[in-house]
Amino acid sequence: MDATEAAAVLARARQGDSEAFRALVERHSRSVFRLAFRMTGNEQDAEDVVQESFLRAFRQLGRFESRANFGTWLYRIVANCSVDLMRSKQARHDQVRGESLDEAIELPAADVPGPERMAQSAEIQRRVQVALEGLSPLERAAFTLRHYEGRSIDEISSALGLGTSAAKHSVFRAVKKLRVALAPLRSQES
Amino acid sequence: MKHYSEDDLTLYYYGEARGRAEVERHLQVCAACASLHREIAGTLAMIAAPEVPERGDQYGLEVWQRIRHELPEQEAPWWIALVRYDRLAFAAAAALLVMAAFVAGRLWPQPRQASAPVATETGTDAAFSSDMRRILLTSVADHLDQSERVLTDIMNAPDRGDISTEQKWADDLVDASRIYRQDAVEAGEQSVAAVLDDLERSLLEIVHSPSKVSAADLEQIRRRIDAAALLFKVRVMSDELRKREDASGAPLPRPSTRKTS
Repeated sequence: MDATEAAAVLARARQGDSEAFRALVERHSRSVFRLAFRMTGNEQDAEDVVQESFLRAFRQLGRFESRANFGTWLYRIVANCSVDLMRSKQARHDQVRGESLDEAIELPAADVPGPERMAQSAEIQRRVQVALEGLSPLERAAFTLRHYEGRSIDEISSALGLGTSAAKHSVFRAVKKLRVALAPLRSQES
Repeated sequence: MKHYSEDDLTLYYYGEARGRAEVERHLQVCAACASLHREIAGTLAMIAAPEVPERGDQYGLEVWQRIRHELPEQEAPWWIALVRYDRLAFAAAAALLVMAAFVAGRLWPQPRQASAPVATETGTDAAFSSDMRRILLTSVADHLDQSERVLTDIMNAPDRGDISTEQKWADDLVDASRIYRQDAVEAGEQSVAAVLDDLERSLLEIVHSPSKVSAADLEQIRRRIDAAALLFKVRVMSDELRKREDASGAPLPRPSTRKTS
């Protein structure tokens, strides 16, 4: 699909043409899933975000300014849908999540696995996953955009609808928490 | 000596620190900051991007199938609010203009010669459109016949077995089904499009099932085909299209440009 064709499809979708919107869904689904998975860290949650993002995009197409880039606009929607989903999950499982984080941070010395086991990247990934789950939805979203997606602070601020300072501090808080949570791994390595 | 904070060094790690060269020089001479920076960098280096599960070429279509029945009302663009106030007045004025044009057209004297070429041209368009429609209906009827054979094979397959042949066949038909559905929509053949839409979903389900299908999986596919009365609809629609083809004159040659198998 070249730029002219893409613009025409977008224009038709904005007029409520569901076939044109279908073309957009087919074109962007895989990149939306990739971002959603990185944001949520969970395949099922990512699928929910993909679905919700496209429904939200369809509803809000009238607000989309045609001179903007549809991919960038959709990217913002996906980031925000991910934050919303993580927030609602957090509200449901706050207690469990809190325990997971405590476990990660205050792991007793005796429970720290030996060097052989630590060498296994699967174990490291598991610890990283637990540590990421200990972040607030906004911290996790900001960290994902910065660390995995390589977005600048300004871009994160625009994607999440935050001020630059708030976006920056979300990243800082995430890094601080991750440093604490992953300290046992670092001490084993050194 | 001014030291850098954890936040400064985090920004430096991500390449967003102001005065990057200055930070770099400082890290070479300050052991405390260098140690903190190593710790931050070491932690962040551990956090590799998770491997994203693969999604196939048909994923976009699968997403569409999941959301298409749930599409909400679109919100009106912001500028609609500005014109909404005058909408009724505008509609009334437009209706008045149409009425005036109609009355004027009836009363105004007509030039007589101009009508013949227009009629010929319209007739040509109609014939062309009619042929195009017949080609579409013939192709769709063929496509439905082939799809019926795949569905029948699936309905009669042994309960636990290899359905890779049917899957390959279904995979070939999915793309054709989609193209015909779009053509049917454009031609205003809504009932044909609806059957093709149901068919496309079942074909996709067959394509995405494991080749060595379990009895339970196969049963699920069959239940969905049954629930949509798909085989029945495909047969009835194919018969109907053949009858329309016969009624409209001699059968057209099978088009060779379409991918039908």
